[in-house]
Amino acid sequence: MLAPLPPIILATRRIPNADPAVLLAYGADPARHTALGLLTCDQDDPTYVALDEATKHAAVEVVFARSFYAGAAHGSGPFSGEILGVIAAADPEEIEEGLKAARRCLEWDACFYGANDAGTVAVFPHVIPSIGAYLAAQSGLRVGDAMAYLVAPPLEGTIALDVALKAADVRAVKIFPPPTETNFTAAWLTGTQTACEAAAVAYLAAVVDVARDPLGGAFR
Amino acid sequence: MRTRALVEQLRAQLGAADPLPPPPPAALITPPPKRVFPSPKRRSVMAQRAADHTTALVGIGRVGTRYATDVVLQFQAELAVAHGAVEAVLPEGWAASMGLLGVQSKVQDQHQHLLRPDLGRRLSPEGRALLEARAIKGADIQPILADGLSAIATQGAGMALLNAFMDQCRALGMSVGTPVGARFARVWLEDEIGEITGAKVSAILLGERPGLGTGDGLSAYLVYGPKVGRTDGDRNMMSNIHQRGTPPEQAGARLALLAKAMIDQGVSGVDLDLSQIAELRELAAQSYRAPQRRQRLVEVH
Repeated sequence: MLAPLPPIILATRRIPNADPAVLLAYGADPARHTALGLLTCDQDDPTYVALDEATKHAAVEVVFARSFYAGAAHGSGPFSGEILGVIAAADPEEIEEGLKAARRCLEWDACFYGANDAGTVAVFPHVIPSIGAYLAAQSGLRVGDAMAYLVAPPLEGTIALDVALKAADVRAVKIFPPPTETNFTAAWLTGTQTACEAAAVAYLAAVVDVARDPLGGAFR
Repeated sequence: MRTRALVEQLRAQLGAADPLPPPPPAALITPPPKRVFPSPKRRSVMAQRAADHTTALVGIGRVGTRYATDVVLQFQAELAVAHGAVEAVLPEGWAASMGLLGVQSKVQDQHQHLLRPDLGRRLSPEGRALLEARAIKGADIQPILADGLSAIATQGAGMALLNAFMDQCRALGMSVGTPVGARFARVWLEDEIGEITGAKVSAILLGERPGLGTGDGLSAYLVYGPKVGRTDGDRNMMSNIHQRGTPPEQAGARLALLAKAMIDQGVSGVDLDLSQIAELRELAAQSYRAPQRRQRLVEVH
């Protein structure tokens, strides 16, 4: 139980000098960006965290990051996974550094965990002590704020979110009710780092609890 | 990494006993290199050879997408040299102590000198009166030594350049007026000084705008028929007169040839035909400059 489910980077490529049409289509600015870095992974939420991590290590911007419908098991091909992330920079070297940082984060830090013994209930109780430019822009928080990035399947996630909000001095920044692209439910909480950690642990414990006894007392 | 530790703790609390997969292998972050400057082994041969021939910033290497630490320190040290030269002020009475006729522009202090080039181009009333009373009139050459934007350069090689220039002018048979030492001067001040003394050619030698690591460079601007209202198109100039560029002695000889050509042709600036001056060509051919090495102000080990 609670074994990490390591994310797998399925494909990653760089475009040192991208065509302006491509830059525009993916939200980059041809006046400021020339190079792109692309990455697909079989877990979307760790990748959002990893892309944000890249903005802390290199002068890159996350210009595009979208999850694919119904998740990695229904990807359009073996290298599609669950998400495509695109970072843009003025300098190809920055892309290189940014991708390195994202990869480091996916290998060592951000990942889903199995909330039951079989590992079929995936939960993402991730604490970011200090968010980068990407998540700051997405959440409306400031760069450097702490965030609890919480993801679980719909019912588990809803119960656990309520528990987490009551367990620590945190507030909900954004809640993504189901169904999302990947049919999970997610929430971004903020507070001090300690509060975010307490909330994440409570969230995880609640998901484990639901996974142990999904039907609860009422139907017994 | 924090999240992994938290999940681990909760797992222990819940009493989970099933074994975990081993953590991923490999180092986290590659350690920084011990020596920040790229090792000679890794330097490109072409960049190395190019760097042997110029003081420009080539072949300086990189660390990731950034400069190496010692390059940054070197840059800051060189910028400090330039700042020091800009802020230096020519002492009052320096011209007189060098045997020059000291005058000052309309500028009152160094701050104003930097902000008001227009005032630095015109003489103060006292300076004007002094020139009218004491300077030789109607000479071929009116030599002026001035501070310009680097008083350090003027106090350094200024007198050597002025003397070399005046000696060469006399050797070429031109008459030389009273050497003037101007304070808080801009290039165009030579127009007014030359107009007052009625010289055929007015020549101002002055400290040039400092660059990275060169606060001691001199420039010379020559104009034929000086009068207020001359433009830069009427001038001929020579820059980078310092020991790593053109040495003052050599520069003096070239400037004298230039002045002679102006008097012979009766023009200066873009109208002056330099192709006819054989001596200038010869001098240029002789003036091979050995490959320059960037002077290191900072050493990092």
